[in-house]
Amino acid sequence: MKGDLRSAVFVTSWPAYLIVAAGALIMLTPFYFMFVFATHSRTEIFNLPPPLWFGDHLIDNLTNLTERLPLWHNLGWSIYVALASTLLTLLFCSMAGYAFALFEFRFKRSLFALVMATMLLPSFMNMIPTFMIMDVLGWIDQHRALYIPGAASAFGIFLMRQFALTAVPRELIEAARMDGCGEFAIYWLIVLPLLRPALGTLGLITFIASWNNFIGPLIVMRSVENYTLPLALRSMQSTTNTEWGALMAGAAIATIPLMILFAVSSRQLIAGLTTGAVK
Amino acid sequence: MLTRRTLLAMGLMSTMPVLASSSSQPRKLTVAAFPNVDAIIKAAIPKWQQLHPNIDIEVVSRQYADHHTAMTTALSTSVYLPDVMALESSYLGRFAQGGGLEDLLREPYRIDQYRSRCVTYAYEQAINRRGAVVAMPTDIGPGTMLYRTDLLAKAGLTASDLAGSWDAYVDVGVKIKAATGAYLVSNIRAIKDVVIRSGIGPGEGLYFDQESRVLVTAPRFQRAFKLSQKVRRNKLDAKVNAWSNEWAEAFKRGKLFTELSGAWMAGQLSTWVAPDTKGLWRAAQLPESTFVSFGGTFYAIPRQAATANKSLAWDFIQLLTLNTERQFAAFKSQDAFPALLATHDDPFLEEPLPFLGGQRARLLWRDAARQITATQVHKQDSFAEEVINNELDNVLDNDKDIGRALADAHRLLERRSHR
Amino acid sequence: MRLPATFRISPRWAPYILISPFLVLFGVFSVFPLLFSFYLAFHSWEPTGGLQAMEYVGVANFAFALQDEWFWKALGNTAWLALASGLPQHLVGIPLAVFIHLSFKRLRVRDSVAGIYFLPFITSTVAITILFSSLYSTDYGLINAVLHTLFGTENIDWLGKPVYVKPTIAFIVFWRYLGFNVVLYLAALQAIPKDLYEAAEMDGAGRWHQFWCITLPSLRPMIFFGVTLSVIGGLQLFEEPFILTDKGRGGPDQAGMTSAIYLYRMAFDFNDFGGASAMSWLLFIIVALMTWLTNRAFRPHKGSV
Repeated sequence: MKGDLRSAVFVTSWPAYLIVAAGALIMLTPFYFMFVFATHSRTEIFNLPPPLWFGDHLIDNLTNLTERLPLWHNLGWSIYVALASTLLTLLFCSMAGYAFALFEFRFKRSLFALVMATMLLPSFMNMIPTFMIMDVLGWIDQHRALYIPGAASAFGIFLMRQFALTAVPRELIEAARMDGCGEFAIYWLIVLPLLRPALGTLGLITFIASWNNFIGPLIVMRSVENYTLPLALRSMQSTTNTEWGALMAGAAIATIPLMILFAVSSRQLIAGLTTGAVK
Repeated sequence: MLTRRTLLAMGLMSTMPVLASSSSQPRKLTVAAFPNVDAIIKAAIPKWQQLHPNIDIEVVSRQYADHHTAMTTALSTSVYLPDVMALESSYLGRFAQGGGLEDLLREPYRIDQYRSRCVTYAYEQAINRRGAVVAMPTDIGPGTMLYRTDLLAKAGLTASDLAGSWDAYVDVGVKIKAATGAYLVSNIRAIKDVVIRSGIGPGEGLYFDQESRVLVTAPRFQRAFKLSQKVRRNKLDAKVNAWSNEWAEAFKRGKLFTELSGAWMAGQLSTWVAPDTKGLWRAAQLPESTFVSFGGTFYAIPRQAATANKSLAWDFIQLLTLNTERQFAAFKSQDAFPALLATHDDPFLEEPLPFLGGQRARLLWRDAARQITATQVHKQDSFAEEVINNELDNVLDNDKDIGRALADAHRLLERRSHR
Repeated sequence: MRLPATFRISPRWAPYILISPFLVLFGVFSVFPLLFSFYLAFHSWEPTGGLQAMEYVGVANFAFALQDEWFWKALGNTAWLALASGLPQHLVGIPLAVFIHLSFKRLRVRDSVAGIYFLPFITSTVAITILFSSLYSTDYGLINAVLHTLFGTENIDWLGKPVYVKPTIAFIVFWRYLGFNVVLYLAALQAIPKDLYEAAEMDGAGRWHQFWCITLPSLRPMIFFGVTLSVIGGLQLFEEPFILTDKGRGGPDQAGMTSAIYLYRMAFDFNDFGGASAMSWLLFIIVALMTWLTNRAFRPHKGSV
């Protein structure tokens, strides 16, 4: 059977492999340099050509970084906010996406249009009114202000709906209902497992988006101890006198959790389900 | 608009003095700043706590642009305002016009009594159109020209060749380029920006006058454009942006002969941009004795900040700006040239600077600081700057006629001038 | 799992309960900002003066926006960049995902290859800024050095000349999001039942035929998703041109100034919040229209499922 499948590949010759490998190199290079830069002083980073191999300033850069920032606090908050945001987003978006994909109800089309419309608004126009809402709610300098508002993201709902359209067979839901399965049980026991690959994708993307988000924290966070990493790292940047080496070390540290996350979730994401399970 | 809330607040305010003196002594002042002003503020905390042992200082630091964005947001909604906010001079104009900052002429501040103790232009920059003084200057950026003596010598020239008119400056550039291959400036805009700042009439701003009339067809703009054209025709500009790798590399390789910038640039070059060029640089006044400022920092008190904290906030600002020891500390650690005149006669200013080959350059910068005049700011200044930059590119890259370029800029700016 | 009948939700009400978190969050966090910016679009406001500093100006902001040269320029830039960076993401992304899906049988290898393509999405923007400005450097950059050795070209001022700014930015956007799309398509490819291919094989369908008749149609919902995201992301493009151009201004002649950057600058550089609000509403109408068109183009055929 495997041989048959291989014949379905329309490009399997070595030039294709070569192109993919060259592409991979282009993708990898900046990432590599991020770690190289983390081990150099700012003077060396600004050399041209930039340093190609690791230097010996890593310890200096890290010391500098931890002196200027409560780095471990910031890292901890980033992880907390990203996890909370991911879990909440997966829950809310899969619920709504499932509803839009497999139910017929009044206002369905208008509500979905509303979901899509929220994706189109530039976020920084909302800075001032969002700040006012957070003040009314008493959420200024509170981390919940970072993971609750965006938890029913239009992006996530849209992704879930698109995936559910193909991955969740209508007949299966009907059959479960016939068997007397409750709506909650159907969602929890049948729909969620079927959505797993898309949940993996959404989880990863949500985590990364939360991890890199700085406009949200910029609006609500007030004390350096409560900052998430991107805001903390940015707070080291001035117009003229920036400790680029320390900043690079911080940027590299900030990426490590994402790499681990990707390594863990990629199996879920790409290799996820075999076709047998869909049936 | 009077809401129930403001009425309530006013009612509360009348009982405030009693409360403030007895029970509600604040225990914390919040100071919002950006790097490296945050470091300067933090360094002042031990001294502050000797004076006010019960009152903590909390420094909220954000990236430079983020800080000003966050301050705009806080001022616009009047909530969660810091007790003291640092403002960079290029943002000061915008913040000054809005009326969200305390007028420091009033009680209990009475800033006018300190007027003579500050660098004149810095104090005047903080005066808005209604005559209110909205901020206290702490450091300034007197403009200077840094140049490479080794390149000058290689071309068989001396410093006196460089001192003089803009045309003489460009002529030196031509000789340097021929003898050493080094560019005269990193970016042509540096020259344009200085030239358009010389010869600003009284009551005029850089691009607009007090009645928002557009000034970009004035002779100073014509001259700046013509001079830029001459520089470009001789290929004397390296076409690199400040703070880019190319820019830093050009310094390290001795590819830049001069840099027109604030006095603080010498510190940046020596600490990290090009430390190996130590001893090769000298400072001089800008050509034709032009005196302009490059940046500077101010402290302001938001009008809607906690009333009970305001006089303490003012105490803290005074510590940062009027205390010679604090001003020197900032000068030494962050190259923040003091706005406080009392520091200007100290022997520290006469110390030779090793990076500048032992030159006593601080005296030069002090003289520049005293000659700079404050210019009227306009809300659309940053838009105007960009329009002028565009038209300069058009003239240099596409051979657009200077008169037409400035007329086009004039037309664009006129549409904006009253927005 | 059986719940007591009282906790049972009827299928009629289920969808409303399922979308209620969205509705609540939308109501609390989005309605007010929308109304605020709508209100602001008809006012002139100096934000540092506080809320009471708003002045009613009627439709003056809209009139200004429609006549503003920079508004249209930014819109043109945005369309150019959205197309030039968005289209290749899919034209390259789909074949690449199919190739990875079919050619790398060992899961670990497949994960690693996809992972490498995904890396730009998680590389820090600070590192990207410094690195790309070195790569694109006119006199010392690697790109010019390579071009010079291969083709003997003159050094190109990639980020300093208006004509080169857009392609430079478009490439970086493409570089950053290609892997993201590959991961999306890989996930979707998992869901295509293998027996479809087997049946096609039986019927003697060739590789191309299988790709056109099975793979592409099955990917359709995901392509719709990916393209919509690219259209929306492209039209809101902000970060890449912002970090690559001097002071985030969009480069020489504002050639890289997208609508999102212009809006940001209108508000926070030029302190014109009223004008920025009016522009954002105009932009919203344009983007909504574009999304609606994409939606129509990819709408699944009725009865094909």
